Amino acid sequence: MVNPDRPLVQFKNVVKRFGNFVALKSTDLDIHEGEFVALMGPSGCGKTTTLRLLAGLEKPSEGEITLGGKLMNDVKAHERETPLVWQSLALFPFMNARENVEFGLKMRGFNADVRREKAIDWLERLGMEEFIERDVSQLSGGQRQRVALARALVTEPKILLLDEPLSALDAHLVIRMQGVLSKLQRELGITFVYVTHSQSEAFAMADRVVIMGDGEVMQIGTAREIYRTPKNRFVAEFVGRNNIISGTVTSAHTDTLIVNTACGDFTVSKPDDLVFKQNDPITFSVSADLVTIDVDRPETDNVVQCNLISEEFVGSVVTLFLEAADGTELKVQVQEKELQKINPKADIPYYISWPTLSAHVLDANLPG
Amino acid sequence: MTQANKKRRVDLYALTWRLPIIVWQFLFFVGPLVFLIAMSFFVVKNYRMVETFELASWERILSRDYFWSSYLYTFGMATFATVLATMLAFPASFALAFKVSANTRRWAMFFLIVPFFTSYLVKTFSWYVILAKTGVVNSLFGYLGLGPYTLLNTWIGTMVGFMTLVLPLLVLLQTLSLSQVDKNLIEAAHNLGSGRFRTIFNVIVPSAKIGLIVGALFCFILSFGDFVSPYYLGGSTPQTLSILIIDTTKSGNQWPRAAVVAICMMVTLFVIAFTSIVFAYRKPKS
Repeated sequence: MVNPDRPLVQFKNVVKRFGNFVALKSTDLDIHEGEFVALMGPSGCGKTTTLRLLAGLEKPSEGEITLGGKLMNDVKAHERETPLVWQSLALFPFMNARENVEFGLKMRGFNADVRREKAIDWLERLGMEEFIERDVSQLSGGQRQRVALARALVTEPKILLLDEPLSALDAHLVIRMQGVLSKLQRELGITFVYVTHSQSEAFAMADRVVIMGDGEVMQIGTAREIYRTPKNRFVAEFVGRNNIISGTVTSAHTDTLIVNTACGDFTVSKPDDLVFKQNDPITFSVSADLVTIDVDRPETDNVVQCNLISEEFVGSVVTLFLEAADGTELKVQVQEKELQKINPKADIPYYISWPTLSAHVLDANLPG
Repeated sequence: MTQANKKRRVDLYALTWRLPIIVWQFLFFVGPLVFLIAMSFFVVKNYRMVETFELASWERILSRDYFWSSYLYTFGMATFATVLATMLAFPASFALAFKVSANTRRWAMFFLIVPFFTSYLVKTFSWYVILAKTGVVNSLFGYLGLGPYTLLNTWIGTMVGFMTLVLPLLVLLQTLSLSQVDKNLIEAAHNLGSGRFRTIFNVIVPSAKIGLIVGALFCFILSFGDFVSPYYLGGSTPQTLSILIIDTTKSGNQWPRAAVVAICMMVTLFVIAFTSIVFAYRKPKS
């Protein structure tokens, strides 16, 4: 459904300041028609500000925001077709489910019969047929979520904005609602812009993920690109579980670089887009799930001897925290069933290693 | 210890704390009320009250046109005062709740409490200077070549007095209830296509309904029962029920008839208060 030639939304050098605080530094962002985009980052990174700018709830301090080719800077919130699903859902407590859904239609001057019919259609579509006339206060979290979705979608917008809509739900409901949202977005073929701090939500649903930090866009890409090839230190630290190692280039070969670090010498693949010379500082990341742990020293490149510090058990996957002789902290993710073969003990040396292709060079010139 | 025992102990504890107010209410509210009702069935003979049970006072008062015209006037004035005060107070409360900084709001709240430092009677007398034939208002009209208008001893004077009485309280109550309105709901309304003005009626008023109704109810109660404004600024013409009560007790010591008027007022206020509260807390059914 993604149509890359026609950006539905464009941010051009958009800056948002609140007094002296810069919530959004000069930002460029294209969002295409029919795309599911997740804006992801820690709190205070500017993701919600970006969404609010798009909905017209904030005015940009600088720059241009266009929607469908039209400049939106001075278009008031109530004149935009950019419905938002709020973190708190913001359902009107003095109206029942149907009246909440009808609200947007009422504001657009639809007559009572049409409003009613469309509202009921949407509530039924979202599996709420039994709760159409129910008071909002008598609905469960998941049901309210559906009312909020129906209320936003009933006006048939081209774009739907979602501000951490699942953060108040129980874990099992989150999974179910993710399914509902993904299916809905595919069926409707409209653009979803989804703000979240949760990697699992963003990766599970989005076509493209925008990683934001400190008021800036850090990286845009598919979930896989961001997970496997983080652009800079910020992304590598925020997404997944990465070992981040810094050192200097000792020699550059055709395809590889040899890097000297405090915990040893490593071979990394030469990045396509960055040039390194001898003695240049360099930082690379190795995802903890691509690292192997052994009791005997393996006969390969990229081996570090280290001691086990602690382990974190979250179910099928276990993260081991280790420390090299120089104090560098390293992480390894292993399947729980594999872990039994190693039988981790604190007092014996382990060898961790990774294939050269697993090391990914970060761009030190980028912010973060 | 059994559950029942435990429960009873808790009740006793709560009762101990509630006791003073219960005793107070019995001594100074329920007691006098019962006496007032009993007194309405007494009769006055030779300027002296005789304890008996006769319907004479009820029949007399309820059959007199002056009672009903006074009742209608009092009810009408209280209703008008409620509507007028609500309309005058709302923009101010709205601005205080949504448009000013938290600091400005704090100061405004403080200055809204200041009027209660001085006696209502004192404030009423100061209106004399302003509303008199040669007062401030008429002088201003004079510059424009208008007037002088008679403002004192008319219903206008009474209404000015009512506003003095209720406006600070009403702005205070409205501001408090409007500040409780969830700002997300207001933004959600904008987001769904509701302009600023429509949002006031679509979202803000329904959200603050209870506080707004309670404020209006206070306006009605205070204006309906007020004696000072209609007497000093309204010149007792037409007569309100509270003035009627005073006059009745003065002329021929007719305490039983005054009691009848008082009971009629209390029943009215009771009905108004009850229906307002029911309406305020009612869940909208469609």
